[in-house]
Amino acid sequence: MLTVSSLTPAQLRARLSGPGLDFQTGPFVNRLHSNIPHLAAGLALLYADYPLIDAGGFADFHLDLSQPGGIRRWWRPQVRFEQDGKFPFKPLPVAQAQPFCEWMMNWCVSNRAHGYLIIHAAVVEKNGRAIILPAPPGSGKSTLCAALVCRGWRLLSDELTLVRHADGMLAPLPRPVSLKNRSIEVIRAFAPDAVFGALVHGTMKGTVGLLRPPAASIGRAGEAATPHAIVFPQWEEGAPATLEPLARARMFMQVADNAFNYTLLGARGFATLAALAERSAGYTFRYSKLDDAMEVFDGLVGEAR
Amino acid sequence: MTGGQSLQRREWDGEAVLFNDLSGATHLLSPVALWLLERLEAAPDDLPGLGAALDAELAAEAAGDGAADADTDTDIAADRERLAELLGDLHALDLIEPC
Repeated sequence: MLTVSSLTPAQLRARLSGPGLDFQTGPFVNRLHSNIPHLAAGLALLYADYPLIDAGGFADFHLDLSQPGGIRRWWRPQVRFEQDGKFPFKPLPVAQAQPFCEWMMNWCVSNRAHGYLIIHAAVVEKNGRAIILPAPPGSGKSTLCAALVCRGWRLLSDELTLVRHADGMLAPLPRPVSLKNRSIEVIRAFAPDAVFGALVHGTMKGTVGLLRPPAASIGRAGEAATPHAIVFPQWEEGAPATLEPLARARMFMQVADNAFNYTLLGARGFATLAALAERSAGYTFRYSKLDDAMEVFDGLVGEAR
Repeated sequence: MTGGQSLQRREWDGEAVLFNDLSGATHLLSPVALWLLERLEAAPDDLPGLGAALDAELAAEAAGDGAADADTDTDIAADRERLAELLGDLHALDLIEPC
């Protein structure tokens, strides 16, 4: 199987500015067009291990992140997102093309992939047991997810948990982990070998650093995972690592609040979420030190099956 | 019960989540609210009837626990007021309606 890394920089740019770069992320094929050189360079680094798909076949999502022409190309250069002939979002400074691309790829999934219950949550797996981490921004979800992945856990996603309706299994969608502001330095100190794309400053979320996902997680993107626990993390200065059980019905309601398409799915969403709640223990988790958190999470999944 | 709705529920440790396909809403219900709803699903009833049924249910539970005399000083009026409030809450959620 060819990966994006098999393309030379020139070939990658030619695909992006020509027929499109077709590559697979989890269950989806993306077709990306762009005329932005630094976006191509970022993709070459962060998406090197992703399956490359022959151009011209079926693609789930068609994305175009390009610089408009005219004098705007030179004065206040911007990147705009186009999909199916529409521009659903305002353009951003061209320097933000890489995180914009990530946000748009997430947007495509959360707005279209209703063959899954989609929870706004990170999800990682070890020893055959997956842990879902739903949480609002600022809770330390992505930092915790990145730390776990850097310690050998399999990344399924740092942002979108996909629950299959038919069997309740979790479909992996491993993509770069988006870290913001202080979290970037925290993970660099925690895992000095971690590879980041170029830092992007001044976004609506502050400074963004995209962590390259482990090749092993991408290689297992076709292997669904069994849900084991749902943990609501909250980073708190100086707090000892504390894991507390969460009543199942309350866990259900909190997960529903964190799902993108629960309401849209109606009775089907209720049934899928109920089955997920049935098989997953619920917890709240407060922590301040990542090493302590690693110990608690290792304890949650126990020994290898 | 409000006509035309189909309710799905899951119960864990006494608490329940309930999906109403008519409103599309999901509710978290206490054990008493669930008991009340199931009672009304079986047959319509009024406040005195539901109050008496709740008293009987509580007495049966207390007897089972060997605490039959524990509720002798219950303030029935306050109890009925709470029950009416709970019925009001279920009505506000469009799960039940006056008949």
